[in-house]
Amino acid sequence: MRKFEELNHYQIFGIPINASAFEIRQAYKETLSIYGNDSPISYSFFTEEESKEILDRVEEAFSTLIDQEKRELYDKMLVHDKKIDPSDLTKKKQKVPTPLFSSKTPSGAAISKTIKKRIKDKDLKKTKEAILSKDMISGDDLKQLRQTVGIKIEDLFEVTRITVSILEAIENDNFGTLPSTVYLKNFLKAYAKLFEVDPKKIIDGYLKNLNHIKGTS
Amino acid sequence: MAHIFAVGGGKGGTGKSFIAANLGVMLARQGKKVVLVDLDLGAPNLHTMMGLTNLKTGLSNFLNKSVKNLSLTSAPTKTPNLYIISSLRCSLEVGNLFYAQKQKIIRAIWQLPTDYVVLDLGAGTTYNTLDFFLASHQGLSVFTPEPTSIQNTVQFIKAVYLRKLKHILKQHAFATAVKEVGYESDDGVVRSPLDIVDSVMRSDPARAKLLQKELGKLRFKLILNQYRKHMDVTLGNKIEKVCNRHFYSQFQFLGNIAYNERVYESIIARKVFVAKYPYTPTSTDLKNVANKMTGRNVQAPTLKETNAKV
Ligand SMILES: Nc1ncnc2c1ncn2[C@@H]1O[C@H](COP(=O)(O)OP(=O)(O)O)[C@@H](O)[C@H]1O
Ligand SMILES: [Mg+2]
Repeated sequence: MRKFEELNHYQIFGIPINASAFEIRQAYKETLSIYGNDSPISYSFFTEEESKEILDRVEEAFSTLIDQEKRELYDKMLVHDKKIDPSDLTKKKQKVPTPLFSSKTPSGAAISKTIKKRIKDKDLKKTKEAILSKDMISGDDLKQLRQTVGIKIEDLFEVTRITVSILEAIENDNFGTLPSTVYLKNFLKAYAKLFEVDPKKIIDGYLKNLNHIKGTS
Repeated sequence: MAHIFAVGGGKGGTGKSFIAANLGVMLARQGKKVVLVDLDLGAPNLHTMMGLTNLKTGLSNFLNKSVKNLSLTSAPTKTPNLYIISSLRCSLEVGNLFYAQKQKIIRAIWQLPTDYVVLDLGAGTTYNTLDFFLASHQGLSVFTPEPTSIQNTVQFIKAVYLRKLKHILKQHAFATAVKEVGYESDDGVVRSPLDIVDSVMRSDPARAKLLQKELGKLRFKLILNQYRKHMDVTLGNKIEKVCNRHFYSQFQFLGNIAYNERVYESIIARKVFVAKYPYTPTSTDLKNVANKMTGRNVQAPTLKETNAKV
């Protein structure tokens, strides 16, 4: 426990010395999701006593930092003990606060939801009609759907989990790098379903166009 | 010397063999020579994950001394650059290895003429498994998101950590501390090794630094397998965080690997998954993990920096 006991209140939450009250609350919640009584992580790592000891420290850290007066006293103590540099206290805030346990890829589920909603809310009727009236459908047509909604190719990846390189190949009709037809059909289906256009028509039109390009180049 | 990855983790069925096999393919596709070694001697099935059935040679030839050079017992797989040393025929005789045999295997593995070695280990925390894990440069611990699996992985990490701790204490003759390390209860469950370092710090602060330094060389990688969409994406990061906070070794979470029903189909079809289903999130995840294992941020350690010495 020594290693944990040596952490100061800010380190317990993994937040900067000048963190805002909002950041403190956020980090507190995150920390409880690890060390709290109903967390599978805490349950696996620590004995009951250890767990209680840790939670006591977490609570103490939170109640100190969230109380302006107590926090100032605590900061003074840290400065006095040379644990922190006094200039840290007045340092300008970073533009982007770094959350404690951000995963490398932001929560896919949340992003996926917002993107789906954006597509739903957008009136795509005209664009869709224009595309479906064509005999051959190109990657550019699909791209237009996406751009009309105003989402990035990376956003599509978040929802469909089709890799960006494949999505790019699809939108550019880059048949050299496109996957085999079986997979391609699946990807086109996912693409079409997301934008709520008839998958069959998209697949047929796209493949027809692809064969056409292949034949002429 | 080859760079050695060991794939372990406390629980059976989390996907250690699946991951060893598929990471082997991904590493070989990076243009490196890779040797997979099945060290789950009691229940070998790495060859099954690779879709191989008729293996003529394997570890048993090395152990019964009919082949002197371990590399000659390797067999090619369907993937270029990828070889396998199976334990197919040794299961019954050598489920429990003698100490000398274990050391012999470890030394032979270190000398394999290849770029990478991937060791597929059995479940549990027997000394054999722990020592094979410690003989690697990077130990990969595979777990799934179920509470029991997290629990077993933590037990596994603690057991490895404790074993390493004991090695260090013995090696440097921490006489007083060694007694206190008799921390395992009768049923073999590891109690908290976290406190052992603390107790050395109290009783022998001068050498606690050395202990910390040695433990700091131990590198764990964490892989969360059979990840399903609705789950907490940050679970692995959180476990990484807790490990780094409470142990003195280095932990890195390599990523989630999506659950995919077709894993079963690929095994039945005798094809390695990433070859049969390349355009799936699972295959992409495996590729990303392989890249992280060998990426620019991972420096190739020198001989001294393996997890253990023989
Ligand atoms: N990502 C995954 N998605 C679906 N099934 C998986 C996945 N990983 C492993 N499995 C299945 O779990 C079972 C156990 O995997 P295995 O690699 O043999 O585990 P271990 O070697 O850890 O005992 C296998 O039957 C395999 O099909
Ligand atoms: Mg296995």
